[in-house]
Amino acid sequence: MLLFRSEQHIDRWCEQWKRSPGGTLTLAQGWKLAQLWYGDRLNPQWQPKTASEAESVFQDVGLVGEFWKLTG
Amino acid sequence: MPTRDLLAQPNSDFDHRLRLFVYRQMIHTGKCPSVAEMAKSLKSSTKSIRASLSRLSESHAFMQQENGELWRVAPFSAIPTPFPVTIGKRLWFANCIWDALGIPAMLGKNAQIGASCGCCNLSMPVEIREGKLRAGPGIIHIAVPAREWYKDVAFT
Repeated sequence: MLLFRSEQHIDRWCEQWKRSPGGTLTLAQGWKLAQLWYGDRLNPQWQPKTASEAESVFQDVGLVGEFWKLTG
Repeated sequence: MPTRDLLAQPNSDFDHRLRLFVYRQMIHTGKCPSVAEMAKSLKSSTKSIRASLSRLSESHAFMQQENGELWRVAPFSAIPTPFPVTIGKRLWFANCIWDALGIPAMLGKNAQIGASCGCCNLSMPVEIREGKLRAGPGIIHIAVPAREWYKDVAFT
C-alpha cells in the first residue's frame, strides 16, 4: 500500500512490477480509514474486526465494489 | 493494512496483557520488545510468550519473523521501513502508508510522515495536525484485492 504522486506514477509502477492496476483512494480517505481502523487499538478488550465489520468500515470511507469485498 | 478476521481473536487474559504490553513498549520506547524481554516483564516463559504471539498473529495485527520475534505490530513495524512517522521527538516506522496514518490515528497526536512516491521516490511529506490531514496531492494504491491481502503481506 504505497503513496504515489499521480495516476501516471501508479501506472509506471504497475508496468515496472507487471501488475494490473489495483484499488486507489485519496489521502483524505486514507486518513479516515486509519482513524476508523486504528482509533480503538489501545482498548484493552480490542478484538480484530470481522470480515463484515471490515467491509462496513470500507463502505464508510467510500470504498465499495468487488475489490474491497471480504465476504460472499 | 487491516487485520483479517473471525476466529483469530485473542483468547485469554494473557493474550490481552501481552498485546497491550507490546504496544506500550512500542509507544514509550520506540522499540519492539524481544520475546525474552516480554517473558521477563510478564514473568512468563518464552514458550508461553511464543504461543501467545502465535495466537495474536492469527489476526495479522501482529506478525512474526521466522525467528519468532515480532516483525509487525500494526500499525507499527518492528523493523525500519520507508514509512517513518515522527511524533514529537519519537520516531517509529509503519508498514505502509495506511499504517503510517494509523499511528497518529491510534495515538491521537500530531505527526509528520516522511512518505515518498512509490514510483520515483520523491518526497511526499504528510502531516497530521489537530486531527486534520495536511499534504500535497497524492493517491494511495493497493495492488491486490482485499481478499488477497495476506497471500503476500510484504508485497501488499
